[in-house]
Amino acid sequence: MAVKVLIVEDNPVARSFLCRVVRESFSDTLTITEAGDLESARRQINLTGGAQGLHGVDPFRLVLVDLELPDGNGMELLAELSQYPATKIVTTLYSDDDHLFPALQRGADGYLLKEDRFEVLVEELQKIVRGQPPLSPAIARRLLNHFRDSQRGELPDSGFSRPAELVTSRPVPIEKTPDHERLTPRENEVLTYLSKGFTIKEIANLMGIKWFTVNDHIKSIYKKLNVSSRAEAAVLATKQGLV
Amino acid sequence: MAAARDAGLTPALAADSAAAHDAPSSGFANTGSSVLPQTFDADERGIVAARWLGWRRRALVVLALLGCVGLFTLLRTLSGSPHIDAGWRTNATGQMVLDSAGDANLRAHIGETFVGVVLADGRLLPPEVLLARRSPRWVVDDTLREQQLAHGAAYASALRDGSVMLKFAESAAPVEVRTAVRGYAGLGSVFWLMTALALVFYLTGAVVVLVQPDERNLLFGLTAAAQTTHLLLIGLDTLPGFEFPAQLAPLDLWLRVSCDVVTGAASVHALSVYPRRLPYQGLIAVTSWAVGIGFIATVAFNPVPRLWWWTQGLQLSYFAAGWLLLVWSYRLTPHPMAIVMRRLSLAVLAILLLLTLTVALSQGNADVQRFAAGPGSLIWYVFQASALMLVPFLSRSQQVMREFTLLAGISAVATSLDLLFVAVMPMSQFTSHTLALFLALGLYAGARQWMLNLLMGSNMLTTERMFEGLYRTAREIETSAGDHTEHFARLLGELFEPLELGHTTRSSSSTRVVGDGSTMLVPLPRLPGVADELQPRGSLVLRFARRGRRMFTREDARLTDRVLEQMVRAVAFDRAVEQGRNEERARIAQDLHDDIGARLLTLMYKAQSPEMEDYLRHTLQDLKTLTRGLAASSHLLSHAGAEWKADITQRLDAAHCELDWSFDFDRDINLSVVQWSALTRMLRELINNVIVHARASRVSVSAHYQRGRFVLLVSDDGAGRRPDTWAHGLGLGGIRKRVKLLGGEVHWRENGTRGISCEIRVPELGDRA
Repeated sequence: MAVKVLIVEDNPVARSFLCRVVRESFSDTLTITEAGDLESARRQINLTGGAQGLHGVDPFRLVLVDLELPDGNGMELLAELSQYPATKIVTTLYSDDDHLFPALQRGADGYLLKEDRFEVLVEELQKIVRGQPPLSPAIARRLLNHFRDSQRGELPDSGFSRPAELVTSRPVPIEKTPDHERLTPRENEVLTYLSKGFTIKEIANLMGIKWFTVNDHIKSIYKKLNVSSRAEAAVLATKQGLV
Repeated sequence: MAAARDAGLTPALAADSAAAHDAPSSGFANTGSSVLPQTFDADERGIVAARWLGWRRRALVVLALLGCVGLFTLLRTLSGSPHIDAGWRTNATGQMVLDSAGDANLRAHIGETFVGVVLADGRLLPPEVLLARRSPRWVVDDTLREQQLAHGAAYASALRDGSVMLKFAESAAPVEVRTAVRGYAGLGSVFWLMTALALVFYLTGAVVVLVQPDERNLLFGLTAAAQTTHLLLIGLDTLPGFEFPAQLAPLDLWLRVSCDVVTGAASVHALSVYPRRLPYQGLIAVTSWAVGIGFIATVAFNPVPRLWWWTQGLQLSYFAAGWLLLVWSYRLTPHPMAIVMRRLSLAVLAILLLLTLTVALSQGNADVQRFAAGPGSLIWYVFQASALMLVPFLSRSQQVMREFTLLAGISAVATSLDLLFVAVMPMSQFTSHTLALFLALGLYAGARQWMLNLLMGSNMLTTERMFEGLYRTAREIETSAGDHTEHFARLLGELFEPLELGHTTRSSSSTRVVGDGSTMLVPLPRLPGVADELQPRGSLVLRFARRGRRMFTREDARLTDRVLEQMVRAVAFDRAVEQGRNEERARIAQDLHDDIGARLLTLMYKAQSPEMEDYLRHTLQDLKTLTRGLAASSHLLSHAGAEWKADITQRLDAAHCELDWSFDFDRDINLSVVQWSALTRMLRELINNVIVHARASRVSVSAHYQRGRFVLLVSDDGAGRRPDTWAHGLGLGGIRKRVKLLGGEVHWRENGTRGISCEIRVPELGDRA
């Protein structure tokens, strides 16, 4: 059976380029659905059983979402698809953490930078699907900060001082932070190395572990970020009387 | 009478209410050393203010009534005293001529020259004697004074008999004139003026004493009483005609000497406790009072030879001692009040010395002496009295001080010039008065600024410097985080140059001057856009402006409030501008990125050749660097290093090239946007060259930052050789340009047997340079 792929991208040239990247990356038979804006993307998703993916017989397995779309931001779609059983990847020109971090918080499994070479994109895409998402130093810093804020005061100081410009005014939660919002010391260490520009291979050497163990940590961090963000959003929604 | 009372009460009540709201108003009220505790009692003081004010206001009303009743009694006595109802004028030769008369006998002699009064025993009192009889206090010669007193007594007894014999040059027989009752109208305008002044002074003294009845204020009250008495006596001098109230005549000399001595002794005593309590204060006070009281007692019971000399000497010594005490006090504690009072006392001392010398030197010249002892001493007494009266208000307002300074200056210069002309040059009095007045005015206009500076301490720093300080501080507050108290402290420090600058946690609504102008309390304002926990709190305490040479005034407090208000405005404005600039930059960056970026991307996908594609990719990356630089304001060196490494690793991985990376720094600095984007783009260009042109298998990148010096070394083992023969295209030209921008230099050389190494040195890569 063909693997279904959804590419949401408004620029037709970029769309066909991404199609080539996707076809090159996988040897399976692919059915690629293209959407030029959020509306048609939603329509396509509804055809396969809706955003929750509950009734879908044959949902999309891979979704590539551009962030800048004519009728809105790709983040909206990511938020709607938080329960959707597909690998969700952000394709964007923005490589800075200000744009990528919110996307990761909304459940993206990875990101591709559209200006990269064809071969680079193919390799990155394969890695993400295999479960080796990229993590730039800037995003690693943001992650460290995010988790340190949510578990401040509970763990002994890891010895890394917080960068001055990342200080936020997030309030300290009063009740005990749930486990899914905390990083293990190992994960913390991996993130710290990443934020200093070390590669996965170097980190594995430094920590004396296998590289795929490092990779597992990264995957776990991604997941925790997603879960903690969703929990945070739920708390916020409850507070505002939305739920 | 009513006018006099009003004139007296208005300043008195104003001072009273001011004193109730604020720190004590009296000049002798506070010592500098106890300023702060008293200041902080101000709030509690407000609560008890009503009670505090109650009995004082009642007491003041009682004292004012008493004063008025006393004055009224005096006026009644005077108006009921016998008097020759006649008006006189001086003719061209300086002789007295009868001008008008109420008595029928006398009216026949209008226009005749007056020769004198014939006493019952046949003695003739010429008009010079009758006129000169006034103020025996200022008669230098002892025998002359005795004579005058005797003549005065004789004349007074003649008056008491009911009729007086007047002799005129034109008629042989003396004319018998019946005395009349003087009446209120016959008291003369100058007398009313002096009485009003005396009343004002009396009430000022009462207010000061009531505000805070302590040692210093009681001394002030005593001085005030002495001056009031003296002013009234001087007022009696100015009564028209020759008469002097018979009841007062025997006491007159003694009273005047006592008033002078008491003023001097009380001043010395007061200055020994204010502005600060001096060492041996008790000894100083006791000595000054012992000398004074001893002298008064001696004068009262025995005739003192050379009385005038003794009195003048004693008075001069008192003022000189007061001046010395102030000099000493300022050395011990630089209270600005000491300096102001020192100058004031010096002025008083100088004028008294001048007057004394003139009177002493003009002993041979009766005209000059009469002038010096009459109007001269009158000016001196009025000046001394008003100087004393102003002391409690000196710290209230710079305006009062300025006006008084001008008054003092003008009168001192005019008097001295006048005396000089009369004494030295053969001029008529009118000419010398006019000349002296004009010269004094000219001098005053020329020396006004100099005098103001001298008396008040140097003026404020220029407006220009103030604005400079204001905006510099606003900028500092804008750029720095943390506590801003020190910025305010520095601004105020520059503004007022205080000897002490402290901070207290107490706060108030507006700036206040306390401790008689020695201290100013400045509450720190709330800054816009600053987090609550970072807001400056409490107040700044400034003591002794201009290194203790100047007093804080209410104008200063107002100015400070305005300055701080402007400062807060400037900060708010700066913040708005900065925010607007950031928003604008972010918007431009966004537009560039979205529009141009998308187009470049499309072009890149459609590129016909790999070279074109690479070129466009490169352009796109440059654009991204540029827009990121625009959006962010600064980058930490460590963060930049991490990103460079991640970026280079990824690109070299794709090109199957190994990377040796080393990066170290002794200090993490904030790279400016320009530095960050220059370094990022140079490094990208160099790595691009390695990948595209050299096709190396191994690249080594090392970056070091030591003591402000940044060195970047990129070497490869690729195919490139002979760097000196390279054509400098866009890429290498761009690197040269950016290195130059950073103020560094770049060198390419062959790297061993294979490849090229490029070294970039930037000698000064400072924080936000």
